Amino acid sequence: MGSNVRLSFDKKPELPKLIALAALITVFLVIPQFMRNTQLIMMSRIFILAVYGMSYDILRGYTGFINLGQAIFFGSGVYMGVIFLNMQNDLWFFMMAAGSIFVASVIGGYVMSKIVLRTGGVVAAAMVTLALGEIVRNIAERWRTVTGGQDGLPLRFSRVALEPLFTTRLGAYYFAFVFLIVMTFALRAFVLSPTGRVLQAIRENEQRARFLGYDTQKYKTIALIVSSVAAGFSGLVFAVIVRFANTDYLSITYTLNALLITLVGGTGTLYGSILGSAFVTWIQNFLLDLNRSLGWDILRYPMLFVGSLYILLVIFMPAGLLGGFFQLKNWWDRKRLSRATDNTPEA
Amino acid sequence: MSDMILRTEHLGVSFGALKAVNDVSLEIEKGKFTTILGPNGAGKTTYFNLISGLLKPTTGKIFFKDADITSYKAIDRIAAGMGRSFQLTNVFPMLTVHENIRLSAQSYSKVGARLFRSHRRYDAVNSKTDEILERVLLPHRRNALAASLTHGEQRKLELGMVLALEPEVLLLDEPTAGMAIEQVPVMIDIMRDTHQRGTTVLLIEHKMDLVKQLSDRLVILVNGKVLADGNPTEVSQNPEVLKAYLGGGVLDATTA
Ligand SMILES: Nc1ncnc2c1ncn2[C@@H]1O[C@H](COP(=O)(O)OP(=O)(O)OP(=O)(O)O)[C@@H](O)[C@H]1O
Ligand SMILES: [Mg+2]
Repeated sequence: MGSNVRLSFDKKPELPKLIALAALITVFLVIPQFMRNTQLIMMSRIFILAVYGMSYDILRGYTGFINLGQAIFFGSGVYMGVIFLNMQNDLWFFMMAAGSIFVASVIGGYVMSKIVLRTGGVVAAAMVTLALGEIVRNIAERWRTVTGGQDGLPLRFSRVALEPLFTTRLGAYYFAFVFLIVMTFALRAFVLSPTGRVLQAIRENEQRARFLGYDTQKYKTIALIVSSVAAGFSGLVFAVIVRFANTDYLSITYTLNALLITLVGGTGTLYGSILGSAFVTWIQNFLLDLNRSLGWDILRYPMLFVGSLYILLVIFMPAGLLGGFFQLKNWWDRKRLSRATDNTPEA
Repeated sequence: MSDMILRTEHLGVSFGALKAVNDVSLEIEKGKFTTILGPNGAGKTTYFNLISGLLKPTTGKIFFKDADITSYKAIDRIAAGMGRSFQLTNVFPMLTVHENIRLSAQSYSKVGARLFRSHRRYDAVNSKTDEILERVLLPHRRNALAASLTHGEQRKLELGMVLALEPEVLLLDEPTAGMAIEQVPVMIDIMRDTHQRGTTVLLIEHKMDLVKQLSDRLVILVNGKVLADGNPTEVSQNPEVLKAYLGGGVLDATTA
């Protein structure tokens, strides 16, 4: 049963929390004014990968389902963004890309659930999704006319581009930030909905969920679709930031990125992915910078360090950053409570 | 025949050579409290698994409210009005007591598949959850994680979860299993109360003394077969049952 710790914000938001949130949002609206382009890009990546991490958390953290093909949706989003914006870069084409990726993710998520949910067990499902991911990546690599194959597909901004949203780094920052906020609220609403609660029940004990009358396969399909759409959208916005699509975004590497973000941030916490994304993105950036300035050969393999860091983190903070915070808070609350009720016998 | 709510005809299942349930034909009357008694390994839980759809029978048929449900999936049987609890506590460990019961109340209210509106804003679900918490005497443990409950409290939660489904037929698999002796009367009271509200109860028990007063009918199951069936006084004096009690000591009638 693991440790007896709750890992989510399930209570009603109280006023102080709302004020803190408003303050935090204000800070993030103001600071980009003082940032260099490289910093703006990094921040934008953090915001978007946070949403991508949340999309993963819906499956892994809430439903207890390991999808090793999540990058299919993220990568498709990136491609869709580049392809549509290369036709014409304005908000209309962006919206069309969004519509297309929405439809594609709903269908893709549904199809994937039909394939995956036939297999019994988490491990079998993970293997099947891994295979699906590789199939999609392979197709993308061969289909050069559309995807540019291994060379990838750059996003070309024409000079008539009207949208500072897409063409300036500052605009893109705000775009990514608003995206993060909107998606956080949407996904929060989803996990707090009756459906979201059923997903938690499935994670905890699928058989019992069935015996409470829930068609658990149907709920898992819903989770997969919602998660796929969120991943697809984050890929789409990511295209605007990285201005480039290649098959890496479809590969297991990017699935593992999502997995790491939830691991580091804390599984099943939703918001943990924001911390996780900040940490993962920052550390990768930091190591690359360090490599550039120091020129140490070993720094050319950032995953060597990142990987070891993750291992340490998983060992010493198994619940992730936010999860660890909740554990501390729980421990503190319990200590306070037990002090307050020391004299009363246990009920 | 309309007062028969649940019926099994020649129901049986084998695990290899073992006939765990062997040709059991029973008719459960609507509104009655029926108890199935039997020694360890008699096939009681397996019988419930067949009725509730966890296992497929190798022989026989199951009828619920005159419909042949033998091929129904478990969730369809629940939708039809059946509810079961488990002998081994089977809850959502990392959710609170309130959340565990609310999931059940939510299923009963049929709002499970709603998206994007907070689960807290369904008043019917909330009041149902509170009502059940009261009925199983757990209001004070409302925000405790199920995993952190004592065994006795978990048994109450287990019962509360199935009560919140408001089934027409309630299948209870040893709700007092492993409970401290002084806690047992509380469970008996909850069961009696539930029965008095009009629910048909089918209970599995181990100890005859606990259920003699409670039950309208006793069914003795031994080696997957019905050994005796009738009103509690008759059955408890049935020579074959007495033999099973005294001779093999398979039913622990002596322990109060
Ligand atoms: N899935 C299974 N596979 C193989 N054998 C099983 C299975 N389920 C039950 N059995 C066997 O069937 C017999 C009946 O088991 P069952 O659990 O129904 O007994 P019970 O009457 O509920 O006993 P208890 O009072 O101990 O709960 C036992 O011998 C058990 O080992
Ligand atoms: Mg049993």
